[in-house]
This record gives sequence, structure tokens and C-alpha cells, in this order.
Amino acid sequence: MLRFTVRRLLYSLPVLLVGSFLLFWAVRTVFDPLLKLRAIRDPEVIARETERLGLNDGIFTQYGRWLTGFLSGDWGVSSRTEGSVRPMIESALTVTLQLLVWGVVFATIAAVLIGVWSAVRQYSFSDYALTGLSYLGLALPAFWFGLVLIQFLAVWPQQAFGWDKPAFFFIGLSSPGQDPSFIDTARHMVLPVLTLTVGLVAVWSRFTRASMLDALSSDYVRTARAKGVPRSRVVWNHALRNAWGPLVTVVALDSALLIGGLLVTEQVFSIPGMGRLFLDSLLAGDVFVLLPWMVITGAAVIILNLLADIAYGLLDPRVRVA
Amino acid sequence: MASPEPSPTSAPASASGATVKRPGFWRRFSRHRLAVLGAVILALLAIACYGAAFVAPFPQDQQDLLLGPVPPSAEHWLGTDELGRDYLSEILYAGQLSLSLAIAVALISTAIGVFVGAVAGYRGGWVDDVFMRITDLFLVVPAIALLALALQGLGPSPVSIVIVLSLLGWTYIARVVRGQVVSLREREFIDAARVIGATHQQVLMRHVLPNLSGVIAVNVALAVAGAIIVESTLSFLGFGVQPPQSSWGNMLSQASGLIGTPKV
Amino acid sequence: MRPLPSQARSPRSLRVWMAGLAAAAVVLAGCSSGTSSNPSTSSSPATSASASTAALQQGGTVVIGAEQEPDCMDWIASCAGSIWGSYMAQVTTIPVVYNVRKQGNDWLPQISSIMASEPVVSAGPPQTVTYKLNPAAVWSDGQPITSADLKYTALQIRDGKDILDKTGYSDIKDIATPDAQTAVVTFDKAYAAWKLLFSGSSGVLPSHLLEGKDRAALMKDGYTWSGGPWVIEAWKKGESITLTPNAGYWGDKPKLDKVVFQFTADTAAAFQAYKSGQLDALYPTPQLDAIDQIKAGIPGSKIQVEPASGNLEALWMNNAQPLLKSVAVRQALSYAIDRNAIVGRIYGPLDVKSPAQSFYPPLLSAFGGQDFSVYGLDLAKVVLLMTADGWAKGADGLWAKDGKPATLTITTMTGNKRRELMEQVLQQQLKAAGFGLTIKNASAGDIFGKILPDGTFDIGIWTLVTTFPDPGLSFAFDSGNIPSDANQFSGLNYSRTDVPGLNQVLATVDTATDPNIRLAATQAGDKLIAQSATSLPIAAIPNVLLTLDKIGGPTSINPSEGPFWNLEQWGLVA
Repeated sequence: MLRFTVRRLLYSLPVLLVGSFLLFWAVRTVFDPLLKLRAIRDPEVIARETERLGLNDGIFTQYGRWLTGFLSGDWGVSSRTEGSVRPMIESALTVTLQLLVWGVVFATIAAVLIGVWSAVRQYSFSDYALTGLSYLGLALPAFWFGLVLIQFLAVWPQQAFGWDKPAFFFIGLSSPGQDPSFIDTARHMVLPVLTLTVGLVAVWSRFTRASMLDALSSDYVRTARAKGVPRSRVVWNHALRNAWGPLVTVVALDSALLIGGLLVTEQVFSIPGMGRLFLDSLLAGDVFVLLPWMVITGAAVIILNLLADIAYGLLDPRVRVA
Repeated sequence: MASPEPSPTSAPASASGATVKRPGFWRRFSRHRLAVLGAVILALLAIACYGAAFVAPFPQDQQDLLLGPVPPSAEHWLGTDELGRDYLSEILYAGQLSLSLAIAVALISTAIGVFVGAVAGYRGGWVDDVFMRITDLFLVVPAIALLALALQGLGPSPVSIVIVLSLLGWTYIARVVRGQVVSLREREFIDAARVIGATHQQVLMRHVLPNLSGVIAVNVALAVAGAIIVESTLSFLGFGVQPPQSSWGNMLSQASGLIGTPKV
Repeated sequence: MRPLPSQARSPRSLRVWMAGLAAAAVVLAGCSSGTSSNPSTSSSPATSASASTAALQQGGTVVIGAEQEPDCMDWIASCAGSIWGSYMAQVTTIPVVYNVRKQGNDWLPQISSIMASEPVVSAGPPQTVTYKLNPAAVWSDGQPITSADLKYTALQIRDGKDILDKTGYSDIKDIATPDAQTAVVTFDKAYAAWKLLFSGSSGVLPSHLLEGKDRAALMKDGYTWSGGPWVIEAWKKGESITLTPNAGYWGDKPKLDKVVFQFTADTAAAFQAYKSGQLDALYPTPQLDAIDQIKAGIPGSKIQVEPASGNLEALWMNNAQPLLKSVAVRQALSYAIDRNAIVGRIYGPLDVKSPAQSFYPPLLSAFGGQDFSVYGLDLAKVVLLMTADGWAKGADGLWAKDGKPATLTITTMTGNKRRELMEQVLQQQLKAAGFGLTIKNASAGDIFGKILPDGTFDIGIWTLVTTFPDPGLSFAFDSGNIPSDANQFSGLNYSRTDVPGLNQVLATVDTATDPNIRLAATQAGDKLIAQSATSLPIAAIPNVLLTLDKIGGPTSINPSEGPFWNLEQWGLVA
């Protein structure tokens, strides 16, 4: 297990290193780090900043300097806000993780239930219906689905029942000007979490269904059934246990990608997470935020992948030898 | 030694046993009602969009400033936009761009993915390692972020959208194909083909790829759908197809601003 | 007068409008420090109807949706420049010498309550301005606002690094403080727009709190002191800014206990939040989706449309472009465009009926003329002008000269639907008149960072934002301000206007301290610009303020200081 982990880590490091260099190069090529300062049109400032940031050095020198700073915890200063980059990313990450944890938990539960249901009733009407629904979930762009949810779950019920406030809020993650409370946060979380959940459930339930079908047709399930183990126990204990492994991998990989991939959800619901930070920085050409942002999201993908592989090994003893 | 008369009706059970059985494919396909329905809808859509010049009730981009925005009526089935342009016609014309864009993305990304996956899986060794590390590289950063970054750099023209979406979209199919090829590589018919003197290239093209036709077809179909959705998301974020060109994506994202008004 | 360098920040858009987009923005957002006690504070026509007389309760919280978050609160630094930042937190906390108030039909500078009397100008040379401060005016900690604060502010801007806008301050030779209430500013050269000093984007900063310290560090993430009716209680990045009343304020204190500005990223969601009561007020960019939302009707809500804004949307022609170098071609284009139809269709829903006929927006109505009214759709004139200039129509219906067709490109920020529609209308109108027009949009950053300074455009649509009623136009029309090596590409004359005689007239506007001479010069300048058709004004874009019925008080939009200029008078209806 340890050897496996170490080997995976050794594989990942060059990927991250090469990736971060390519991103560094791409971001530097696309953006002018001094664009914002050029707008105030003070040639002295441009010369000073070019000198200070060493923008005339070769790309490798610049990358080396940036990487050393990044690794030693100095992530630089945003050209957009002139504030430290690290706290910006930390606070955005906290917000996104909050959203993501709930989303992943709900999506996993829903996906497993739906997947198992469809697999057990393969080719039944409900199987087809759920299949259809999951394709619908895939076909809805998140921005549209988010706005539709706002309309259906918040605005219309409020109008229909004449409530003072809607049941679910959709601006930010807490009501401003009030002390934070669990209920208030929950009322803010429901709609964004649902929005990000729908696509995940669609994919993951398909996935669960496939691996459940595999497991259900395997010899040990048939053996268990033949031995007279009740059907529900066979499904939930035997088959599902073996279907877990691949699902965990997919869940981990998708969740990792969502750390930086919630651009639309965070935009629609005005949530100051990683996606918003990326968009704001992108539009302001703030290379000083974009780079650490990408490296952090990339590292998150690699780490979660690794964790998933380890978990896979733990869940499925057959893999451990690898 | 003269070979026996090949019977035209017999299945071409060649040494590889891996040629696509076209008639069988169509027969199976036509038996699957949902698939047929899907194909018919798709065909109608494609005909309507690409034949918009004949089908659409109004010419492309025909403005009527005096008319302005009107709700659906007998003349304008879906109403008109701010400039008095017929929505139905605009949707059909936008479909040309959306479909072309999505099909181009699907074909290019599948081609790249199949190539990389097949070569990596078939050759194995360091080639496999290098190719798979490259696909890892693409998996590491959220695609939507890379897309936005790349389009910010290239400018959001349809061509750059196709290039960027294709370059980001090939990794999935590459992994799938590689996995399949790795398992196919060990099968007897590949060895057989090698033994009778087929080159690697011939083996890949004639014996391996045909076996992947199902996976590839599915991927192309999903990629077309995916590209349409991604383009609409990009439009929402401001990086999609730009007016005066219109795509389904930018029409949808513009309409999203109207949600909650009677127009929606 | 300077461009606002801030980038558009809402992705869907670049729909953050001028503030975000304005490059050639005359951005000097005003700062109200509460002249509420001043009876001559008049309200706009839109307001008078809405100035509800209903009794207001003391206390309560109001949540206002804000489309944009400021990047920083160090208002004089280059990271500031977000117009929303100024509306929310600068106008409410930073004292200024001049407010902008409506007097009669015009918006004019008017001394604020920190002043004891109108400053006295002596034309010189050297020109001097003597400021007398009101001894009652104090900072939130009880320390008086003194001449030392004026001196500190002026020197910080004149000598500081990374300053957003040094206009005027860089001409200050010396500032003397004979006593705590008196400051005398001496200029290097005549400076007619001196009322902008200590007003507009800068205001007055507290020297006793900042002198000798790192101003940027103390201010950029918000500050706890105030010289206005409000203090900044909290700035939660990405979420909200919270204001509470300044207990030490010397004027009328706010009625509300708390005002929260909550940042909204999506227009549709923001409108839904407003309709559902999560937000009590909105100040939306009048983009088409917002207009549709408003037209759809929002029950229980007061909608104020203020046509007198400082926002002028115009078609800027690159006068250095080979085709557009010719006055005749520019005039022909101006006759080929049916501005009435464009304005009626695109701005009509906001009750804008007629095109702008001057480069002075309504905020500067005291100065501009109607000289552009000669340009209306007149295809016969187009033929006349083009033929006289040596053009002939080819088989494709386009004008051509020396084998080259009259085709141009048009550029604006991607994502601005209103302007994108306008481009498509222009395309058709110009085609009918024999001109080809290709749409070539770009991001706001590219446009203001590269395309305009380099002059690599033919025709552009952008908004000139004026936030202080001073009529100087030399920044945009003086040939000395054409971006070039000579001015390190810092000029803002993006249209490369170079009209004989115009520079002198504009210089008079910049230096004449006599209001009558200034007025005559502004009118002469407007006429010269119109005659040579250097560019074409389209329309003044109105501002829109939405407030739920539960909010009372004289809510209204000040085109200079924004919709929250009199926030201290807002209250909840009892």
C-alpha cells in the first residue's frame, strides 16, 4: 500500500510541475501582468513594476522565482485588489468546499439510490424513466437550471402562499446584517447545492447502475442468492460493496474538478467561491491570482485522486497487491 | 492452391473475425425504437437547420425596427427579438452554427482521443506512459477554467471555440480507447494477424479500431451533445459565440436574463 | 479628467456598464458628505413625485443589491476606480469640498457643509484658491476637519505613487495652511476646473490618522473612521459591505440603523431576489434584460428612471483611419445613420425618445449645445457628400474609391447586449447607405488596454462617463492628447480628433476662471466638433433606481454621486 502510494505520488509530481509551468507560460502569454497599471498611464510605474517583478527575465527564471515563492508560502499580491493572494484563495476555497461537501454527499446518496434501483429493476419502466431523467439532467446547462430552480422553488411558492420571504434564498450564503444561524445558512445552501447536484447525480447514478449490474451478474452474488441470502441483503451488502470501489474513484475525481469548476453555480447564486474568484481574476487579467488558483485546484485533483485510489484499495482487497 | 468459392452470403469470418458487420448493425439499430426515434429527430433538426434558407419563415437577420419585440403570433410563431427578428428563423440559423461547431468538436476530439488512446494502448511502455501523463495534465485543471482562459487568449470566435473544445475534450475517449486496446492487444486474433505478416499500422487500422466502433460512435454522439451544452455555458460566462453570430448557446444565455418576466 | 481604469468585473458581461467599462470616463465621482441640512438641495423631477411624505420610523436595516464590488477602498489609489465602490462607501464616508446638486435645471457644484464659505479664487498668475472650513465639521473621532487634512490629501495625490488620478493636483505648486480652518492652494498654471480638487474621486482624508503611516494599507480593506454620515462596519469580501451611522457626525444623522450592500453576480437572480424581498433596492445597469424585467412590472416597488445622467453613449470614429480621415466620409456616415430609430428601439423602453445632440451629457446640460441635430437620416446627402469626395458606388452597392470599397469595422465590449444590438442595426443602416460594416468586438480589457491606445479600430461604441459637472473636453478632443509616444500613450483622445482651431478653444475651457468666457468656449468647441463630425453622440443613458415600497424618504439618483448620495435620509415606512 505504501509503495503504491509513493509511486503514485512520484508519478503525480512531474505532472503537477510540468502542468504548472505550462500554465505559467500560458497565463503570461495571454495576459499582461501590468495591464491594470497601464490604464493609469504613468510610465514611471510601469518601469518600476517591470523591474520589481522581473518581467524582463527569461520565462524559466520567472517561473523558478514564482515557484520558490509559492512553495515558501509567498503567493504574491493580487494586481486587482492589491491584497495578498493567499487569504483570497483560502477564503474562496472554504466557501466552495462548504458547498461542495453538501453537494457531493447529497449527490452520492441520490446517485446510489437511483443507480441501485435501476440496476435491480433493469429494463423496467422506472429504469427507463430514471435513464431519461438523467439524460435530462445532463442536457440542462447549470445556469439555466439554477435560474429555473430559483423560479420554481423560491419565487413561485412565495407568491402562491404570500410569504414574506422565499423558503430558499439565492444570493450569497448567508443573510447579510444578521447573525449567522444554521437555518439561515441551510436556506441559502439548498438551491446552489441542488443546482450542482443534478449533473452529478445524472452521471454517478448511471455509473452506479453499470457497476451494480456487473456485480449482480457475478458468481458470488449468484452463489449468495443460491444459498438463500435474502435479496435485499444481497443487493445492499454483497453487490453494493463491490460496486463502491469504482464509484468512489469517480466521485473523488469529479468532486476534485468541481473545486474550481463551480463557476456557473457560484455566479448565478452570487457565492464568493473559487469559481467567482477565477472569473473576477480572469476578467481583470490578474495573473497573480490565476496561477496559484490553478496550481491549487490541480493539486486538489491529484490529491483526491490519490485518496480515491487508496480508498479503492481499502474497499476492494483485490487491488491491494498493485 | 485455389481457394474455395467464397459464398457471397456467408459472413466474412476472416482470420481476425473483427470486421464490422454493417447489415447486422443496421438491422439491430432499426430494431431499437428509441434509437430510431432519436436518429429521426436528429435528422429533422439537421435538415431544418442546414436547410434554414428554405425552411425558415424569414431570412436570416432580417430586422424590423418598427415592429420590435412581439410575443408569438401566427406570423411569428415564436415571436421576435428586440430588433424585430423572427425567433424561429434565428433559432434555425443559430442551429447551423451550433451543430457545425458541435460536430466539428466531436469529430476532432474523438479523432485525437482515438489516435492517442490506440497508440498508447497498443505500444505500451514509455509511449503509453508519456501519453497518459499528458492526458493527466489535462485532467488536472477544471476544463471550464482552461476553456475560459484559452478563449480569453484566443478571442471567442467559432474557430477558436472548436479548437479549444477539441483540444480539451479528447482525453476522455483517449482513456477509454486505451483501456479497450490494452485488453484487445492480448487477444488471439491480433496475434494471428501479426503472425500472417500484418504491420502494426495494419493491425491497428483493420483489426483493433473496427472493434472500437461502438465506443467511438457513442463518444461522438455524446461529444456533440456535450459541446452544445458547454458552448451555452461559455456563452453565459461571456466566452461563447459572439453576436452578430448566434448559436443556441448565446440565445439561451441571453434568454436567461429574462427569467421571471412574462416572456419566459 | 481621467479614464476609469477598472475592468468590467461581472463575467456575463462586461455588462457592468460604464463604471466598469468606461475608459474615456471623466470619472470623478462625487462625494456627498451630507448636505442634508442645506435647504437648497433640490431633487430631480423623478424624485419630487416619489419623495414620499409618509412618516419614517427611526432605525431598521435595508439590504441593497450591488452589481459590483470595489477592488479596494483606498480611493485615491489605482486599485480604486470602481464607481460602485464610490457610490457605496466613498460618498457615504469621505467628506468633500463640493457636492453636486441640482440647481434649477442643471447639476452644479455646490459647497458642502465642511465649508464655511465658498472658496475664493484669484486668477493670478499664479492662480490661488482659498478654502475656509466649517469649524463644526469633525471626523468620527471628534477631531475637527482642518486645513492640514486638505494639505495632506493634496500632497498624497500630487507626490504619491500608484495614484488613480492626479489631474489638477499635479498643477499644485504649494498649499499653505495659515490656520486650522484656512488653506490656500497655489497653482503652477491656470486651472479652471479647480472645483474638482477635494471633490470628485479624492475628497478629504484625515491627516491625523494617516500622516506618516501607510495610507494604502490602512484604507484598502476598509477603514473605521469617517467624515460622512456613515461608517463602514464591515466589508466581507465577495459578500457585502455594511454601513452603520457615524455617531460623531455633525450633520443630520441617518434614520436607518444599518445598510447592507450585498454583491450580486447575476442580473436575473438579482431581480428575482428583489422581487422576493431578499433585496430592498436595486440600481441595475439599464441593459436590455434589466429593462425587460422592469417593464414586466414589479409589484410593491417604486421605479425611478433618471434621464439626467452623466453617461453618454457615442459612436467614436477613428479620425486617423484612412477612410475616416476625410471629413466628408465622416459626415456622410453621420447622415447614413438613423439615430432616431436606434434610440427609439434600443433606449425607447427606458423612455429615451431622442438622440443626444452634443458630447455634453445631461449632467453637463448647462454647457452643451444642440449642434449634432443637423445629422439625421438623409441618404441624398450621403450621395452628395460621397460623390463630391470622389467616391462612386460599385456593383455590390458599396461606395468605392481608387478600387477600395468603403468598408469599416465596429468594435465594442463583448457581452454588452444593448451595444451588440446597436451594432447590428448600424450594420443594416450603413449597408443601405453603401457602407460595409464588420463587427469586431473585443474584451473591455483589450479595448481600453490595447485597441484604443494603439488606434487599431475604425469605429467604436463606448460610453463617456462624466461624474462631475465640469465642462473640460480637451482630454478627449485636443489633438495633443492623441495617444502617442510623445505622451507615452497616455492621451485619451482615442478618436484621434484633430480639428483646426479646436485645441485653442478647449484650452480656454481648461484655463479660464471666468464662467462666461468658459461657457462661450464650450459652446464654440461643441460646434466645431459637430461640424467636423469627428464622432457621433448616440444617446444619454438613463439611470434606474428600484426601491421596495417599504423604503421611504427622498430616494433619488444623483448623476454625479450616485443613488445613495442621500442615504442618510432613507428610512423604513412606519
